[in-house]
Amino acid sequence: MFKKTIKAIFSAILATPIALMALADDQVTITVWSMDGHDLGNEDTHRQVIAAFEAAHPNIKIDLTLLPESGLEDRMNTAIGAGGKLPDVFPLISGEWAPIALDLSSYIEADPDLSQDMYAEPFWRTRATFGEKVVALPTGIGANVVLYNKDVFDKAGVEYPTADWTTEDFIKKAVAITDKANGVWGGDRPRDAYRAIWHNYDAQVYSDDSTTVEGYHNSPQSLAAYQWYWDLVHSDATPTKAEIDVLGTEGTGPVDLFIAGRLGMATLNQSHMLRALKEGINFGMVPEPAGPSKDRHANAWSATPAIAGNSEHPQEAYEFLSFWAGMEGQYISMTTGLNMFPSIPALWKDHPYIDHPAIQTFKTTLDWPLVRDFDGTHLCWRAALRRVDEVYELIGLKAIERNEIKKALDKEVVVLQTALDDCVSRLGS
Amino acid sequence: MKTETLASSRTQEIMDLHKARVGRRNRRALPKNILIYAFMTGLAFLFMLPIFWMASTSLKLPREVFAFPMEWLPSNPQWGNYEEAFSKFPLWRFMWNSTYMVVLSTIGQLISVPLIAYGFARFEFPGKNILFMLMLATLMVPTHIKFIPLYWMFQQLGLIGTYWPIILPEFFGHPFFIFLMTQYMRSIPKELDEAARLDGAGSFTILYLVILPLCKPVLAVIVVFSFLWNWNEFMAPLIFLDDFEEYPISVGLAFFQGRYSVEWHLFMAATLVSILPVLVLYFFAQRHLIGGLSAIGLKG
Amino acid sequence: MQFMGRKSKRERTQAIEGYVALSPWMFGFLFFYAIPILASLYLSFTQWTLVGSAKWIGFENYIRMFTRDPVFIDAATATGFFVLYSLPFKLILGLMLALLLNMKLPGMNYFRTIFFLPAVISGVAVSLMWIWFLQPDTGVVNTLLRYVGISGPGWFWDINWALPSVAMMSIWKVGGAAIIYLAGLQNIPAHLYEAAAIDGASKWQQFWRITLPLLTPVLLFQLIIEMIDAFKIFTEAFVITQGGPLNRTYFFLYYFYEEAFRNFNMGYASALAIFLLIVIMSATALVKWWSNRWVYYEN
Repeated sequence: MFKKTIKAIFSAILATPIALMALADDQVTITVWSMDGHDLGNEDTHRQVIAAFEAAHPNIKIDLTLLPESGLEDRMNTAIGAGGKLPDVFPLISGEWAPIALDLSSYIEADPDLSQDMYAEPFWRTRATFGEKVVALPTGIGANVVLYNKDVFDKAGVEYPTADWTTEDFIKKAVAITDKANGVWGGDRPRDAYRAIWHNYDAQVYSDDSTTVEGYHNSPQSLAAYQWYWDLVHSDATPTKAEIDVLGTEGTGPVDLFIAGRLGMATLNQSHMLRALKEGINFGMVPEPAGPSKDRHANAWSATPAIAGNSEHPQEAYEFLSFWAGMEGQYISMTTGLNMFPSIPALWKDHPYIDHPAIQTFKTTLDWPLVRDFDGTHLCWRAALRRVDEVYELIGLKAIERNEIKKALDKEVVVLQTALDDCVSRLGS
Repeated sequence: MKTETLASSRTQEIMDLHKARVGRRNRRALPKNILIYAFMTGLAFLFMLPIFWMASTSLKLPREVFAFPMEWLPSNPQWGNYEEAFSKFPLWRFMWNSTYMVVLSTIGQLISVPLIAYGFARFEFPGKNILFMLMLATLMVPTHIKFIPLYWMFQQLGLIGTYWPIILPEFFGHPFFIFLMTQYMRSIPKELDEAARLDGAGSFTILYLVILPLCKPVLAVIVVFSFLWNWNEFMAPLIFLDDFEEYPISVGLAFFQGRYSVEWHLFMAATLVSILPVLVLYFFAQRHLIGGLSAIGLKG
Repeated sequence: MQFMGRKSKRERTQAIEGYVALSPWMFGFLFFYAIPILASLYLSFTQWTLVGSAKWIGFENYIRMFTRDPVFIDAATATGFFVLYSLPFKLILGLMLALLLNMKLPGMNYFRTIFFLPAVISGVAVSLMWIWFLQPDTGVVNTLLRYVGISGPGWFWDINWALPSVAMMSIWKVGGAAIIYLAGLQNIPAHLYEAAAIDGASKWQQFWRITLPLLTPVLLFQLIIEMIDAFKIFTEAFVITQGGPLNRTYFFLYYFYEEAFRNFNMGYASALAIFLLIVIMSATALVKWWSNRWVYYEN
């Protein structure tokens, strides 16, 4: 009897914390790293998405770490390198992280509310998939388009560009609207080689199987693209690199120069477009100009949050991820803060700026093939390009003659091949 | 010894003569002083030009920032930019966090540095010179190589997301401060220690009651420099903190550099405000710095 | 015998107390320096992409570094020239500034604050400010130069000017060096100058015969500290130039950072870091050895 009582008391004492722990266990905390910026939204947007999610899922608590845009990659790489626990959910902004991301295929299959068909096809293909795996879900999307300042064109008496314009038109118009005395430049210059215009020349830096550079980087197509760039630089209708750098740290683009009325045409993105709208700039919008290629390419991307492969609560993390990147989350991100553009076409009709003609132009480019940099299939694309900026830079600095470009590209092939081989041996093709 | 007395008596003699002349010379030196002041002011103007530019930008309209040719001053100073910068991000909160972080770091240095320097300055033990060299050599290590191992260690300790990973290293002494303090302690006559020891004081009593009170100038240097360095520290808080509300100002400022645009006028406004605490501290502390820093030139 | 024993006991207490006093540092050294350095040393013999585990490849990284990496040569050249450009200026101008600030005139405190200010403020914003400041077309410096009829260079955007521009930025921070010189100057006993003045030595002679010799220990300290700092230059490349144009400002630590955190090449990056560390240590040892010829200590 006595023994029993003691036992009962003991088990009661023991049971209390265990019960409490179980109760606490019901409440799962999911850590999320994200960044403040237009593809994912600002702080307010994040808070609203999380509040809506927590209201719908009382057993899941979201612990958000909002990092400055410039810091997410460093922090994530440090955490990956340290090899321990990673945040449950994080934006997969680097293709190299794909191997550590959870394969979402089975989760998506089991999810009645979410399917691949909901999403715009190109964005599903880009960073969201890696080989056979689905590693992330697309949220906000972005693309480069050319904004032109109607006032600048009117003043020079030049016709506005049209959607079917070519790279040659770009230079001609740029020259015609340039007004040096007032510091007005015609059009900006590509901020890297092998962006959309290079693709529109069918130029490719190396073979599809990531083995050969010879015959790609120095192909007639590449040469033609580089020569176009040379012509643009020497037309003196484009701001110097110094101007562009001042007005755009990485990713910013010359939006400020455009808004200040000092740049007639600027290759910008959806977020800049909204800013120009809000500032009341009289502007129009066309896709990036066509080249000799039969296809036109878009420099487009999406923000793709993923789940860490070593997450302790993958199911709950998926609940949040599918909410964030699903209908409800994207609707909130679209209608608050920075008015993100959703990767779910069905939501577009509710976008606050949908009636503006510029948004319609923006939409047409989204179905085009994407440039390689964002296509996620080539891990070494970026590492290799980092090593082949010499010809591009020489042209930008006006330090090379037009007829020397071929020779310089030939020379660069060797350097690039070494860099590519080294990268492929580490990261794979 | 003999020459010294001779010299000093001779000095005394001529010093009096000298003093008599100085009065006359001071009056004549006036134009020369004006020249010096003019030169210094010109130089100061050059040095302040970048700051002036920041201040001017912080008061401009976004359009004026990009005007061509450049505009020296805003046509209509936008004091509202400061208000806007502060409403955009919780800058006061960030500055408070920085202050908290910096004060704790400084306390860490103040606790550890005297003790370590005491060990180097007053004790003989095998390997001391090698350890001292090693201590100085740590100045050469690039900080970037530390983050991954440190992240791993602090993750094992469960301290990611707290201030500990940033503050804890400060409790083990910065080599610059240790060097300075060691030099300074060596210049304090050992007879003081001996006397205290004869009175029965232990080694560590001597440190805290006899030696440390004489090291105030170095402590001032530690306070100011530790404040400066930690106020500007960016990478460690970025990597180790989790909560937006806990970020220091250095990380907070980075939020002004958005993914697609930088609002330069607000960015400059916020930056200028973030400099103020450091500036005020330096202005009031600078008189005390000189004494502490003078230990650098003493023979090691 | 007994005497010897007592002495060694005192020695032992000395040693124990010494180690106790040093223990915080030794602890910190172990965790914040020794382990990271040993980890880097190990990683420098591996191939590691951060994701997954490190693969031992022996000396491969070092062989690549010295035989087939053109960027390594660019990085070493840029860093070497930066040290050569910035160091003498910083040391000499720092001293000149300190001599000015050492004058006993009213209001010097304000000047000291002003000149020290650039050394106080740092970080990304200040580096970004320099982009604006030196912008060739709309920047402050070239606008000023235009007023006097000089067409200024392209600064960060000119192949030949990029590196000197970065060096110029670091000279702006010369106030940090000046304050340490200032401390050294104020340490020089006034009676030496008085005696020299009586002997009819001019200000110029006083500087060469008294000030400079007595300042050599401070000079050595500055030389070493500033040299280490110059070798570790990073932020300027990171924020302003991204290593360009044509890798002219592709500083060593920036190369390390790009390889480690952007190219997922931690093994190679570690080899670069170890190499840099060895270079800094050798350079410091060399300076220390050379200094025996010119550093003068009082007493």
